[in-house]
Order: sequence, then structure tokens, then C-alpha cells
Amino acid sequence: MGASLQPELERELVRKCKSGDARFYEPLVRAYEPAGLRLAVGMLGNVDDAHDALQEAFVKTWESLHRFDLRRPFGPWFFQILRNHCRDVLRSRKARFKVEALDERLEARPAGVEFSPERARQRSAAKEVLWKALEHIGEDHREVLVLKELQGFRYGEIARILDVPDGTVASRLFHARRALREALEEMGVDYDGEGPGRD
Amino acid sequence: MRFLDGEFPPDEHVRMEARIAASTELQRELAIFRAMKSDFRELSFHPGTLQRSVWDRVNTAVTRPIGWLLVVLGTLAWSAYGVYVFTLSPVDPWEKMATGAIVIGILVLLASVIWERYREWLTDPYRDVYR
Repeated sequence: MGASLQPELERELVRKCKSGDARFYEPLVRAYEPAGLRLAVGMLGNVDDAHDALQEAFVKTWESLHRFDLRRPFGPWFFQILRNHCRDVLRSRKARFKVEALDERLEARPAGVEFSPERARQRSAAKEVLWKALEHIGEDHREVLVLKELQGFRYGEIARILDVPDGTVASRLFHARRALREALEEMGVDYDGEGPGRD
Repeated sequence: MRFLDGEFPPDEHVRMEARIAASTELQRELAIFRAMKSDFRELSFHPGTLQRSVWDRVNTAVTRPIGWLLVVLGTLAWSAYGVYVFTLSPVDPWEKMATGAIVIGILVLLASVIWERYREWLTDPYRDVYR
């Protein structure tokens, strides 16, 4: 779930970490860092805050390892801690999710994937509109969309992270997509047919 | 939503496809949500290209407390032993008082500097800047 470690190896690393050896924490951090950063950026709206939140979440996870049940997978537990920390950050700074400018670092794509200038421009414009639309929907809606669309988690995985039943995930996703669609329509993006907003 | 996200079991998926084929309204809704989903996927980025890993800072945060704890415990143990030896030493009382005054004076000065730096740190706008 969001990491490239084999389950057995991951369990062994967590077991070593539980005994207090921080050297074994590095592979776990590096494995979960990319997915964690995607989640944090999606929840907080900018890369710098996301980096700080991710670091704090890894430290909190380390400090809570003694309570971790080794029979359970590490991924959902870590993402739950990260998600809760991001929500705390949003509350503590008393500010809403806000994308101040489309961060050029979010434009990065894997090596070998090249777009024509026109396609790159369209892609960039579509991204900017979507990030802006995310500002206009609720926190619950945003987080479930980020988990589903940015992270690509399945319903069961999202349910474990949010600690809700599967059915609630489906219901939240439905409302979140409707809310996003309304926000996009208010911004002039028309998904119904060949509207001018999607050219 | 489960159909859109490919979360239906195969038999339910087939039933849903039949329902959608029979309803232009459902086809329209599905097309809209598919387009949104596709655009949303484009938002995804590849953090590997962001280069800076948080591991160094995490490592510092998880290992430094142990170092500090050991330093503090060792210092306390040596200080207690020093005070014990100093108190029981057979030197004149005025020597003890003079030495005690110097040590206490240094400690008070050190504490005041630490307190001052701490108060500055609380309002330092650059304290979260990563170097």
C-alpha cells in the first residue's frame, strides 16, 4: 500500500524499529515518503508544508511504534497518522487549504514521459483549475478524493486509513465528486459534453 | 461510484453495465465523472523528483533525544558526586563559599542566556527554515 517493500521485510523492519534501533527506520521512511508526500500535498496544498508535515508524521509514528500491532499492515497505520497530523496542521494554523501558486515541482513527471508544448500547456492549465477547485470543497471531501485519485488506494484501504466502513468511503466519494463538480462548474469548467471550459 | 472506480464484483459490474446501457442519463453522468477522474489523475505527481528526502531530519529527531538524555543523566550524576565530594572535603568554609559562589554565578548566567535564546526562538520567523 503506497510502498515498494515486501510485507515480510516490512514486518521485520517494523519489529526491529519497535526494539528501538533507528537504523531500520530508514528503509521504511524512504519507502513511504513518496506516497506520504503526495497525500500531504493533497491535504495541505503546498510542498513546503507537506514536507514539514511528513517529517512530523514520521517522528510521531516512531514514537508510537510501541503501540503498533505487528499483525496489522504498517501502511494504513502510517497514513492514518499522517492524515491526522495534516488535519491538526490545518486547524492549528487556522487556515484553509490554499494553493498559492501552482508549484512547478508538482509539474514533475517521470523520465521518458514527454508532452508536446500544447499538451503540456493544457495539462498545466487543467491542473491549476483542479487545485483551485479543491480549495472550494470541504476537508472530508478533499481527503477522500486525494486518497482515491492521487494515491489510487482501493476502498478497503481508504476505509482503514479513515477508520470508517467501506460503505462510508463510497458515500463520501460520491458527495466529494459532486462537490468538486459543482466547484468546477462555478469556475466555468463544463464537464457536460464539449463545454468551453475543457478545451 | 463503485462502478466508476472498478470496485464492483464481476457479476454486479455486468448488471450495472446493462443498466447504464439502457439509460442515457446514467451514460451522461458516467461520462462526466470519468472525465473528472481522468483530469484528477493528471494532478498526480512524482515526489521522487522533489529530491530532498525527510530522512535526515527524521533521523535527527528520533536519535537526538537519546543522546540528550544520556548527556543530561551523566552530567547530573557527575554533578551530584562533585557536590558530595566538595561538601565533605576538609577545606576551610570560606573556600567552599567562594567556590560555591563562582559555580552558582556561572550557572545563573548560563540559565539566563538559555532563557533569553529560548524567548528569541519562540518569535524567530526563520526557525522552520530548512538549511
